[in-house]
Amino acid sequence: MNKITYGLILGGILGIFDGLTSWFTPAVRPQLMGIVLGSTFKGLLAGVLIGIFARKVHSLGLGVLFGLGVGLLFAFFIAYMQRNYYVQIMVPGGLVGLIVGYATQKHGDSSTASASRT
Amino acid sequence: MKEDTRIGGPSGKFPATRWSAVVAARSDDPRERSRALGAIVEAYWKPIYKYLRIRWNKSNEDAKDVTQEFLTQLIEKEYLSDFDPAKARLRTFLRVCVDHFVANQTKAAKRLKRGGDVLHVALDFDGAEAEFTRAESPLTVAASAASFDEYLEKEFVRNLFTLAVADLRAFCEARGKLRHFQLFERYDLDDSVTSRPSYVELAQEFGIAVTDVTNHLAFARREFRRIALEKLREMTCSEAEFRREARALLGVESA
Amino acid sequence: MNWLSDEAVARLRSAGAEPEFAGTRYQLIERIGSGGMGSVYLAEDATLGRRVALKILDVPDSAGDLAARLQREAHILASLEHPGIVPVHDAGMLADGRVFYAMKFVEGERLDRFAEHEGTLPARLRIFQRICETVAFAHTRGVLHRDLKPENIMTGPFGEVLVMDWGVAKILRANWISTTAETAREQSRDSSGTLTAVSSRTPLKTAHGAVLGTPGYMAPEQARGDVEHLDERADIYSLGAILQFLIEASEPATQTAPRALTAIARKAMDADPAARYASASELGQDIARHLDGLPVLAYPENVLQKIARWAARYRLAIVLVLTYLVVRALLIFWFRR
Repeated sequence: MNKITYGLILGGILGIFDGLTSWFTPAVRPQLMGIVLGSTFKGLLAGVLIGIFARKVHSLGLGVLFGLGVGLLFAFFIAYMQRNYYVQIMVPGGLVGLIVGYATQKHGDSSTASASRT
Repeated sequence: MKEDTRIGGPSGKFPATRWSAVVAARSDDPRERSRALGAIVEAYWKPIYKYLRIRWNKSNEDAKDVTQEFLTQLIEKEYLSDFDPAKARLRTFLRVCVDHFVANQTKAAKRLKRGGDVLHVALDFDGAEAEFTRAESPLTVAASAASFDEYLEKEFVRNLFTLAVADLRAFCEARGKLRHFQLFERYDLDDSVTSRPSYVELAQEFGIAVTDVTNHLAFARREFRRIALEKLREMTCSEAEFRREARALLGVESA
Repeated sequence: MNWLSDEAVARLRSAGAEPEFAGTRYQLIERIGSGGMGSVYLAEDATLGRRVALKILDVPDSAGDLAARLQREAHILASLEHPGIVPVHDAGMLADGRVFYAMKFVEGERLDRFAEHEGTLPARLRIFQRICETVAFAHTRGVLHRDLKPENIMTGPFGEVLVMDWGVAKILRANWISTTAETAREQSRDSSGTLTAVSSRTPLKTAHGAVLGTPGYMAPEQARGDVEHLDERADIYSLGAILQFLIEASEPATQTAPRALTAIARKAMDADPAARYASASELGQDIARHLDGLPVLAYPENVLQKIARWAARYRLAIVLVLTYLVVRALLIFWFRR
């Protein structure tokens, strides 16, 4: 599996969880489905971008920083749209980006040929 | 020191074919059998004598008698007909035969003759005794079958090489290459000096070029090797046995 | 007759054993090993200024089967040009009548010694894959090794893996020699003792019942001396034994090897040749699948085993997701305070 696909899948999964955990904020429960969809899309997009970065740049530190930045940025856009819950949205969003950044640096193939690590 | 009498044909040499004395010793042809037994006696009498001295602690006179009696029995009783090369080496077989012979020896052992099949092998026991006492620490051989086999092996090799050197000298003399042999003797056999002479020193000593020293030595060593291996081949029964023995003789064992 | 001292005997032995390189371009450095047929010497190639290894018969055998076997080994090596097979540079006969061939001097370590101290299991498996590739190549050229074992594999200092000692190799295809140069002919003596060139379509035959190989690494059919029916699968068996060796060398006594890997080795070493892998490539590919965390041919999995393998393959991602959930839960409780 290449890094882009890896980032896409992991970002999507974490995006789903990220959206679902908003259920613990009662005020936004009515919008849960929309939040989950949005969060999933955010996770997928962030995962693709972070995966592309990981394919070009082989540096764990830079990969983590880039992932954190992308996650925070996307989360900021979401929070800005609501003009609220900046911390509650950006912290987990940044965390998702950080995790995907780390994972794509450590896992996935840089080339099109299969050459996995164990 | 008396010289050993050469046995076999007029030249004392055997043709360079794959001839096994051990196999020929069982031949129905009495001349072939005589020749083969002569080769075996020549190769083994001295190691057997020394073995008797060290293993059975025989005096030189007793060892001399026992050696002659044993060799006579070897021929008369056709011990070699019981030899199976698949089970043991010829040296081990002979050692066991010698041990049995000594253990069962009677004082009234007779020396028998077979009509038209007498071996005329002069055995220089004085020379053998001189070698035995001259060798370093002859009495430090530990009392075990393996160490006695090792001793017999060592003496067999020494005797075989000695015979090969003698043949090499004759070979070189016959071809007008005595200098080749002398160089070989000086460089590879001489123990009288603490360090071997260099090729340059040899060239000066013999009044020849250094390249000639190299070439002459190579020739002599090549012929020595050929002669020694031919003699060894006579003591084996098959090509496979010969190869094993040759590798052991040359100290080339499997890693 | 002059008495020869022990030192003189030792010198004569050494002089007798030492190959005579006069008239060749080689200068002897030292003897580095010996086998059933002859010894291997390290020498300097004066023409090209490089070190080479020379395999030389110990005993002159210019017209015997041993010389033919060594020459044949050289021809086989010369025909198998592959990174995993040591290249042959030269062949001929020394002045003392001993047949030899010169090959690349491989500075490295035998696999059995390498395995004592080096490498994780995945690293060894990657080495094993290279061995499979080399053997598969030889098989495509119609050559069966017949003596594959860790002692005949060399690992070089720069990651090279070489399959050595093709001395008992068998040619499977009658037209093998016809694909090499016309000069690659074998000789034998006819009934009158005259040296003749035999047809290139008649390689040396191993007598039926003759057992060539090493116990423990020899296929059962090979151990029985069933030379007529030997094929590539005999080498597959040996490869399986090497794999088994590598698994056991790297696993501590208290730890069991991965079941899939053990199954691969078992399949390769099946007593029935028909049940083994059909080719060395297939065996190598199953190893690759194992390394990639994919299912292998030798080990059919149930659902739980598939899940376990999937989890092992993606354990990093699973750990990260769980980490995220834990941190997220902590954040939720934090914001609720």
